[in-house]
Amino acid sequence: MRHNKSILSHALLCAASLVMLYPLLWMLASSFRPNTDIFTSISLLPIPPDTAAYPRGWRGLQVPFSRFFLNSAVIAILSVIGNVLSCSLAAFAVTRLRFPGRDLCFALMLGTMMIPYQVTLIPQYILFLHLDWVNTILPLVVPKFLAADAFFIFLLAQFFRGIPRELDEAAVVDGCSPWRIYWNIMLPLSLPVLGTVAIFTFIFTWDDFFGPLVYLTDIEAFTVQLGLRGFLDSSGTSDWSAMFAMACLTLAPVLVLFVLFQRTLIQGIATTGLK
Amino acid sequence: MRPSRLHAGHAFLIPWFVGFFGLTLGPALASLYLSFTNYDLLQAPGWVGLSNYVRILTADAKVAESVRVTLLYVVLSVPFKLGFALAVAMLLNQGMRGLPLYRALFYLPSLLGASVAIATLWRQVFSGDGLLNRVLALFGIQGASWVSDPDTAIYTLVALSVWQFGSPMIIFLAGLRQLPRDIYEAAALDGATAWYQFRHITIPLLTPVIFFNLVVQTIDAFKAFTPAFIISGGTGGPINATLFYTLYLYQEAFGYLRMGYAAALAWLLVLAIGAITAAAFLTARRWVHYEA
Repeated sequence: MRHNKSILSHALLCAASLVMLYPLLWMLASSFRPNTDIFTSISLLPIPPDTAAYPRGWRGLQVPFSRFFLNSAVIAILSVIGNVLSCSLAAFAVTRLRFPGRDLCFALMLGTMMIPYQVTLIPQYILFLHLDWVNTILPLVVPKFLAADAFFIFLLAQFFRGIPRELDEAAVVDGCSPWRIYWNIMLPLSLPVLGTVAIFTFIFTWDDFFGPLVYLTDIEAFTVQLGLRGFLDSSGTSDWSAMFAMACLTLAPVLVLFVLFQRTLIQGIATTGLK
Repeated sequence: MRPSRLHAGHAFLIPWFVGFFGLTLGPALASLYLSFTNYDLLQAPGWVGLSNYVRILTADAKVAESVRVTLLYVVLSVPFKLGFALAVAMLLNQGMRGLPLYRALFYLPSLLGASVAIATLWRQVFSGDGLLNRVLALFGIQGASWVSDPDTAIYTLVALSVWQFGSPMIIFLAGLRQLPRDIYEAAALDGATAWYQFRHITIPLLTPVIFFNLVVQTIDAFKAFTPAFIISGGTGGPINATLFYTLYLYQEAFGYLRMGYAAALAWLLVLAIGAITAAAFLTARRWVHYEA
């Protein structure tokens, strides 16, 4: 009876995952189909596969998608570097150093996690407009170097607290400066959690639509998400194959990270409640 | 304590200080000020007192509309999402083979769901001649034109949110694994049925995790933007049926350049989210059981 129950569970789970993933697989299949078939075929096998939609989509706007991929990659990579450095600096200060106002600072960091971005959005926009940063990557990247994602500070601080204090106390006795303790002891010991910060930052910035929508209006500066939306508005609903082809390509980097770092991602969510 | 360490603590925090004052505290106060003004980026802000707030709360039909749409979205998507998440987590928690694979497959939509690509896909799947209606036709069912019908458009967004039940599921799964096994063994010895065990052991012990998921998902649902923007082409249509509050705020700020009005909308959103979170924490004492 136990055996039957387990088969039933597997059947249920298989059916559920199939239903969930079906639209995704269908989108991938449809990107290899001519437009005439998209509204008639529900199968997951495009026969024969037709790759014409990829080059058509790639050059579907007046600027090719290579430009959007490059822009997105630059923003995502700089954001990763920014978050890893600035959040670990702040987390190190509040967990390992003693100075007046430390607890207040940590409380303020936690407090900023609660503030929705809509509240700071408009003055930030005005500020960046006056700095002449609109249509550059700066409004999207600079905040990452200023530890604006307080959540990651919190995540790193939790991890730093688990590293034995004896290590840095011994280093202090040996005459190590706080900078060297941070750089030569804490960071190397924290590679797993720094990896979590890096992967989530990359995925969040790669998928971010709102920030680029507000700050990037010149098509040369578009990220892949904006490029996709521009394509949808200009010809997407008349050329679904090309639309789906580009959609699949924009999902590809996230999928690759997912396959490579699945365990890290799932642990990150299980322990912290991240998306 | 050495003076050099004292100095270092502040030095390490310089980037955060700049960010906190320049990007968080300063802008938050500035937007509070702007919410009492009219400001179109061209002329200096003009003080109008409470009139933005008065108009939002009493005279703007679109605000009422967007609040209705947003609340409907929150009230429908959060319970269904958490229900699915818990049900699948329970199934997976029976010590099944292939758990990591299932977990990964169910989590995948959560990871991809926020992107424009998925919102675009949704727009096709739920269109009049889209994938869903093709599949329904196989069963002889004639589907509606889901995305462009004002009565059904919001449900396509709810479906998109529920589809992403993977991340609360992972949190539930982690919570279920922490539950002490001996209680279940004792209950089974006493003849408790599976339902009784679920209702009187699993649910009470899991309330801290349920609470966490509930708060996080509710706040996220209030802040949702991209799917409605893509599916409606930025309009919030058809006939405001997908006009999320955040989408209306965006239109007011960046479509009509009514920055003061949009700042007031933003502050009301913060107050609403704050009030709901506070209410959740206050009622939590009655239904969330933390281990003594």
